Parts: sequence; structure tokens; C-alpha cells
Amino acid sequence: MKNLKLVARETKKGTVVKVADVEIGRDFVVIAGPCSVESEKQILDTARAVKAAGADMLRGGAFKPRTSPYSFQGLGIQGLKILEKAKQETGLPIVTEVVDPRDVSWVAEFADILQIGTRNMQNFSLLKEVGHSGRPVLLKRGMHSTLEEWLNCAEYILSEGNPDVILCERGIRTFETYTRNTLDLSAVPAIKELSHLPIIIDPTHSTGRISLIASMSMAAVAAGADGMIVEVHHKPQEALCDADQALTPDMFANMMTRLRALKSFLNNQPLESNGKMN
Amino acid sequence: MKPEEIRKKTNKIDRELLVLLQERMGLALRSKKFKETLSDPQQENDMLARAERLNLDLIKSTFTRRLLKTIIEETKRLQDEDRSLAAFQGEHGAYGEVAARQLVPDGAYIPCLEFIDVFRGVEDGYFDLGVVPVENSLEGAVTQVNDLLTTTDLKVIGEVKVAVSHCLLATEATDYREIRQVFSHPQALAQCRNFLMRNKLESRPYYDTAGAAKMLARENPRAAAAIASSLCAELYDLEIIKEGIEDGPSNSTRFLLLAREPHPDNGDKTSIIFAVSHEAGRLYAVLKLFADAEINLTRIASMPLRSDPGNYSFFLDFEGSDKNEKVAAVLKEMKGLTKWMKYLGSYPADKDS
Repeated sequence: MKNLKLVARETKKGTVVKVADVEIGRDFVVIAGPCSVESEKQILDTARAVKAAGADMLRGGAFKPRTSPYSFQGLGIQGLKILEKAKQETGLPIVTEVVDPRDVSWVAEFADILQIGTRNMQNFSLLKEVGHSGRPVLLKRGMHSTLEEWLNCAEYILSEGNPDVILCERGIRTFETYTRNTLDLSAVPAIKELSHLPIIIDPTHSTGRISLIASMSMAAVAAGADGMIVEVHHKPQEALCDADQALTPDMFANMMTRLRALKSFLNNQPLESNGKMN
Repeated sequence: MKPEEIRKKTNKIDRELLVLLQERMGLALRSKKFKETLSDPQQENDMLARAERLNLDLIKSTFTRRLLKTIIEETKRLQDEDRSLAAFQGEHGAYGEVAARQLVPDGAYIPCLEFIDVFRGVEDGYFDLGVVPVENSLEGAVTQVNDLLTTTDLKVIGEVKVAVSHCLLATEATDYREIRQVFSHPQALAQCRNFLMRNKLESRPYYDTAGAAKMLARENPRAAAAIASSLCAELYDLEIIKEGIEDGPSNSTRFLLLAREPHPDNGDKTSIIFAVSHEAGRLYAVLKLFADAEINLTRIASMPLRSDPGNYSFFLDFEGSDKNEKVAAVLKEMKGLTKWMKYLGSYPADKDS
């Protein structure tokens, strides 16, 4: 990985991305919310619920890259305004996806973190644009990409002058069909060896199964991940997209309790800890 | 034309009809200040006859008559309501109107071209009330208004602080990604400079924020937006693309409510203007009166006296009513210490400020 001048481990101590009071790279950060912004009530209800359960940030898509052109494409700028309202009420910073280079400066006006989705990981003009957006970038791993290809994409963003990149492992395509993708959990410690950038996981899109989300999240904590991004919907059965993989607020709260217990267990171990959890 | 387009155009026409009616009602309320008798049957008949002579093939003269009669009836009803006419400077939707709506909740809001039109209009009885800005938290005193307060004889009967929150507005048909130029008052453009730069937008100075919004709605220039209040979005049917686009911490403007007669009740705040002679310790002597009486000053501003270059007038706001004994005593004593003094009024203070 000779071409990695800026993201390589040896160039820097661990990057900490600060957004309001949240420090990604220091704490285990939980980003939760629905797949897409559907209505003001849906976002506000979900935001209140995930905040109460201990989430650090709110996610929600206003611009959706959908597999089918006939699927719900997102509310666009209207959706961003709804997210802004939820932020004003709950104080949760906003993570939202940007899919078009022409939208970057506008999405940056509303969002605290710009997300680059798995399908756009190698959209280089988009990467350059978010590279000078002035906002941290959550870079999802392409579903067919190697760690090296992924890190090269992060390198694009850093080389444009934006040091705040958060990597997100969201599952890769394998021959397994029971799960939607295969969560490559080994990417977490591997990225820690290769790069100074923080890495979080997405247990929702990687498994595509509600029943597996909590277990994979526990595993991510144990593997030393810096956080997770998970789909929660106040009424999953009514969701306009990915209805069958969003947690209910109750399930989310339950999972958060277990995660806290695990973190405190790991922190209280007399043995050497990796210092990443609190 | 597609059905969708026809529907949109129809909606737009309905809206414009209502806006014009609103303008007509405003004029009727203003005419009330001149008229001796409220209804003038002769004039009404002339008007109806003129309208009927218009050769509109789709609109029958019986319909014209019915429609105009309805409008006239509603106008009379409105004139009987006895709403206060509150004048402000700027186009409809200006921050002055935002203030007027807060100060005079059930008023009729009348736009004026210049500040002096507001002052003169109230003095001459064409308007009941005037709403003018005296100072902005970033830009300081509005000198024109302060000067008019010195030279005219109106009383201050209220105040309100309006948070200036700029919005980026565009017509519904405009794709935000295609916006290239932004029209607004130079001061608003300056307050949003970083926002404009981040989004690679070009500033286009315009005489007024609300004027820019109005122009946008009427002319719909390509690839254009305006910076104005959220009230403008409502009044001109524009989309708010982003609220609160100003760079700095939120700024606010303090507006005064003016009338011919002082506030009838005890206020809790008083405004005065005075000048002292050019002698050592004169200003201090005046301020000492307030200190000794333990009266809290909320604003002190000085302005060159236009009538007497080299000398200054001082604007003083303080807590308490002129009907309060302590305050009355200070004001009485002040007369002996000042060259000139003017009482603007005691009024309820804006509790949120």
C-alpha cells in the first residue's frame, strides 16, 4: 500500500473526529435513525426515542441511491430541513448521505457528517467535492472493495484537505445468501493496523436481518470498533425502505443496555485494554 | 399545456387575485382617513358601470356586478372594524413589518418608501401608528430614525426586539442546484457572505430585502434567489431553501412603536433625548442624577446635532415610568442641567429582550 501517504498508520496517531461533543475515534459512538427521511413526525419520534436510549447522533437519508429507479428516492432538501429540525430539538448531530457532487455544498449546510454510500465509494468526483466541503465524511466500504481500494478512496478525501474521515464497514458480497452481505469484522482490527482513521460498523446493511444486529454490534465493540451506524424506525412496518431490517426503538434500547454492560465489563478488566472504550 | 401546468397557473392566478384584493383593502382603509362619509353611492355606481363596459367575452356583466358588489361590501365591513393603521418602512415582508405584526397584532400594515413617510404620515393623521428601527445589534444606531425622533413630535409607546434571521428564498420552480445569483439589501448580503461563498453564489445588491423577494416572485429571473425574512416566503409564495443563513451570531434590531399621543398607562421603560452645554462635567452631572436615584440606564447613544454642528444630542433609555416619583424628580432636576430636553415616552419594555 505504497500510495497511501496521508491515511497510513505510521503517518499519524489515531485521528479523532470531533462533532459537537461527540468524539469519533475516542468513544464508541452510536449513530441511529431511519433509512430515509419520510416525514417530520417519523424523524422527530425516532430522534427522541434513540436519544432517550443513548444514541450520539441521528442518521436519515434525504437523497437515496436506490437499486430500482421506481423505489422511493428521498425527500431531498425537504428531508434535510426535517433533519435540521430534529437536531434543534434533540441536539443530536446529523449524519446524512450525499449522492450528487452538485448537492455537496447544500447538504453540508444542514448535515454535521456527510455520508458516502457503498455504491459511491469510488465516485472520485464526489470524493473530491466532499474533500473540500468542510464537513467530516463517513466513507462506507464498497461492497466489492478491498481494504486497499477503500483506503485509497479515503486518501482522495484527505488529499483535498479534509482530515476528518470515518471509515464504515457495511458488509461485502460473498456467496452466502442467508445474510444480505457478510460483515467483515476482521476489517476493524485490520484497518487499525493499516490506518490512523477511525472505523465504525453498520450491522444493519451487512446482515439485513434484525435478529443478527445486536450480536454483531457486541462483536464490533469487542473487536475495538469506534462505533456503529444502525437503522431504527419508530414504526418499521410502515417504513418506505428497508422495512424488514430496522430495529424498533425498544429493540434499540435493549441493545444499547447490553452494549453498555459489555463496554463496562471490558473497561474493568485488569488486563491491558486497548483504551478505546469508556 | 399539460393539465399539471394548467393547475399550477390557475393556482398562481388565484393567489395574485387575493394579493391584489389585499392591496385594495389596504387602500380602502387608508382612504377612510380622508373621507367624510364612508359610502359614496354615486362613486360606486360609476365604478360598476365602468367595469361593466369592459368587453370581456367570458365574464358576464351580471357576474362583474355581483363580484364587485361583494368586494365593496367586504371593504365596508373592514372599514367598520376600526383596525389601527401601522406604517413601516420597506416593502411588505420587510423586517419592519415583522416588528409591526408583533407590536400591533390586529393592525393593517402599510408599507412606506422612506422613514420620513412613516413619521409624517403618523403626524398628519394618515396612519395611527408607526414602527421604526432605532438600533441593530451589529450595525449600531439607525441615524436617520434617531434624527427624525429628535425633530418630530411623536411619542414612543412600545418597543420590540426582532431577531434578524435571514432565509434563502426561491420560487417553487427553481432548482436550488441551479441558483447562481442572490438578490438582497447589501447589508443582508454582507451578513451572509460566508454562506454565499461556500455555495459559490454571486451577490446582487437590491434596494430592500423584501423588495428582492417581491421581484423574484413577480419576474422569476432564471437561476436566482433572494435573502429576506421568512415572512416574505409566506407573502410572496416563495420556498425557504435554508433558514438562518447569516454568518455571525444572530443579530437583532430594536423597533419603536410611535403614536401621536403618549401611552395611557404607566410604562416600565422611558426614553428621552437631551443636549448639554459645552462645559466640563455637564454630561456627568446629568448621569449622576440617575446614579444617585439608582435608576438603571438601558441605552446611551450620542449623535451629532444637525442644527448645531460640534454639539451632540444624547439618547437615554432607562427603567421606570415617568409617573414614578423617583423618575419624575430626576426629570425635573434634569431640566435645569440641560440645554434642551425631549421626553419621548414611557412604555412597556419588551420582556424578551
